[in-house]
Amino acid sequence: MDRFIRLEQLTVGYDGKPVVRDIEVSLRRGRILSLIGPNGSGKSTILKTITKQLKAIGGAVFIGENSVESLGPREMSRRMAAALTERSKPELMTCGEAAAAGRYPYTGMLGVLSKRDKEKVDEALRIVGVFELKNRLCSEVSDGQLQRITLARAICQEPEIIMLDEPTSFLDIRYAVEILDVLRQMANERGVAVVMSLHELNYAKRVSDLVMCVKDGRVLYLDTPDVIFTEAAISRLYDLPEGTYSQLFGGL
Amino acid sequence: MGEKAETYDSGLGRFVMVTFVLLLLLAVLAVLNIWLGGVKISFGGAISAILGRNPGTFEHDILWKMRLPRMTAGIILGGALALSGFLLQTFFNNPIAGPFVLGISSGAKLVVALVMVFVLSKGSTVNSAMMIASAFIGATLSMGFVLLAARGVKRASALIVSGVMIGYICSAITDFVITFASDESIVNLHHWSRGSFSGTSWSDARVCAIVVTIASGLTFLLSKPIGAYQLGESHAQSVGVNIRAFRAALVLLSSVLCACVTAYAGPISFVGVAAPHLTKAFAKTSKPIIIIPLCFLSGAVFCLGCDLAARTVFAPVEMSVSSVSSLAGAPIVIYIMAGKSRRI
Repeated sequence: MDRFIRLEQLTVGYDGKPVVRDIEVSLRRGRILSLIGPNGSGKSTILKTITKQLKAIGGAVFIGENSVESLGPREMSRRMAAALTERSKPELMTCGEAAAAGRYPYTGMLGVLSKRDKEKVDEALRIVGVFELKNRLCSEVSDGQLQRITLARAICQEPEIIMLDEPTSFLDIRYAVEILDVLRQMANERGVAVVMSLHELNYAKRVSDLVMCVKDGRVLYLDTPDVIFTEAAISRLYDLPEGTYSQLFGGL
Repeated sequence: MGEKAETYDSGLGRFVMVTFVLLLLLAVLAVLNIWLGGVKISFGGAISAILGRNPGTFEHDILWKMRLPRMTAGIILGGALALSGFLLQTFFNNPIAGPFVLGISSGAKLVVALVMVFVLSKGSTVNSAMMIASAFIGATLSMGFVLLAARGVKRASALIVSGVMIGYICSAITDFVITFASDESIVNLHHWSRGSFSGTSWSDARVCAIVVTIASGLTFLLSKPIGAYQLGESHAQSVGVNIRAFRAALVLLSSVLCACVTAYAGPISFVGVAAPHLTKAFAKTSKPIIIIPLCFLSGAVFCLGCDLAARTVFAPVEMSVSSVSSLAGAPIVIYIMAGKSRRI
């Protein structure tokens, strides 16, 4: 299955006003695509358009043979899981319950979990390394822990594609690396395609198969990490003064 | 924290316990409601009247024509208010949203008053269907204004303030309408417009029961998407909830429930906020499949208790249920605001 997820001539934006134009990219199963670029460049807008939270202004997104437009909510939910930024701490809900919400597409009318559903949730919690938080209330754990719960939720949804918006933003380096390793593992072992925005360039370099640089309403570069992470490209992407790149990222 | 191995079913044990306690409270309040009142009835007399032993007696009439239908309406409408509040809290992701706080009850009241004054002035009477329909139109109009206000301002506190203002505007217009309508039968409106279960007949109670049962059943069937929505709109969308249809269903159901209450009992304050909050606090979960039935029960208990107090504390003078429910419910709202100030 080459070119499993494809964006074709995709233009994204709000209320008919384009933010990023003419995006062309395709990703195979088991590969990780990272979106990098300055704040406000439209990374989240692109993610939200792929997950159908926003309507595409032009072009289309395809999963396999189907455009996402043609997929119903239930079909879509079995193929794609989204862990996009949402800073809400649900009240009186345990971490286990919050993760179990990922089983929604598989449960019946009233959402009662079967034995198999519970096993899947337990497994996802273990993969992300938060199984011991299962009985804790969401309001009692840190933002970083909650972020990992969110990833466990996406994993137990058993999708073909996982979408994430800055999954490492609240994590210290150890947990960030752990999360990226989990994503790599999901990609390698289960053939999940991962699309995410990342703030930290060193993480993007470490985990990505493909990097998309978004700036000034268009895709500035789209290539493998070793091509992107050069002084010339990064300095141009973030408008860095000469010499800053080697100071900051010399070690990368 | 009581931690059990079965996380995903942890609410179940408490659910049974809380259900039991609420049913017990409901039973006790029901007995008191039947027994106590402006007219003294001996306990034995009440029991034989309930069992229908002496039809035609004074006790029998008081019970079967006044207290029992009124109590039934209190239970059904109290539950409806609590559910309406719960749906609005889910919709706005705000723990102090409720049909009264957001001015939806008052909107329903205004349209009902207008329709009643108009129809009565023509010399005809208003039937149940018309009452509920006009209350629903009023509730939906208010909801529309609140949604417009909520769209313009991002902060949740502004939502509440605009809801309260809409409520005041509607109440003021209702007062004008009632004051200047001189017809005899409109005098009754005074009582109703402040919130009261008095004068409920069996036929009223039956209509309420039908409407509320359907709306509550549908609400229960929404448990699953409501649970997903509690984790945020983007999560709900990601797991396959049709957000537009779901949000529309929340608005419609909460409006129908609130409209039914207002049509028969007028605006009753704070039940929609207090009952869901107390329910969550006691059940220690926010799982909709558990909270929805418990919410209904606790709303019923709350309203029955308030109505009992309204009828008996200063008997034979009767207070409005809304005064009593404000006295009991408003402090709870203050408590929620103080405790969660960062979220509102």
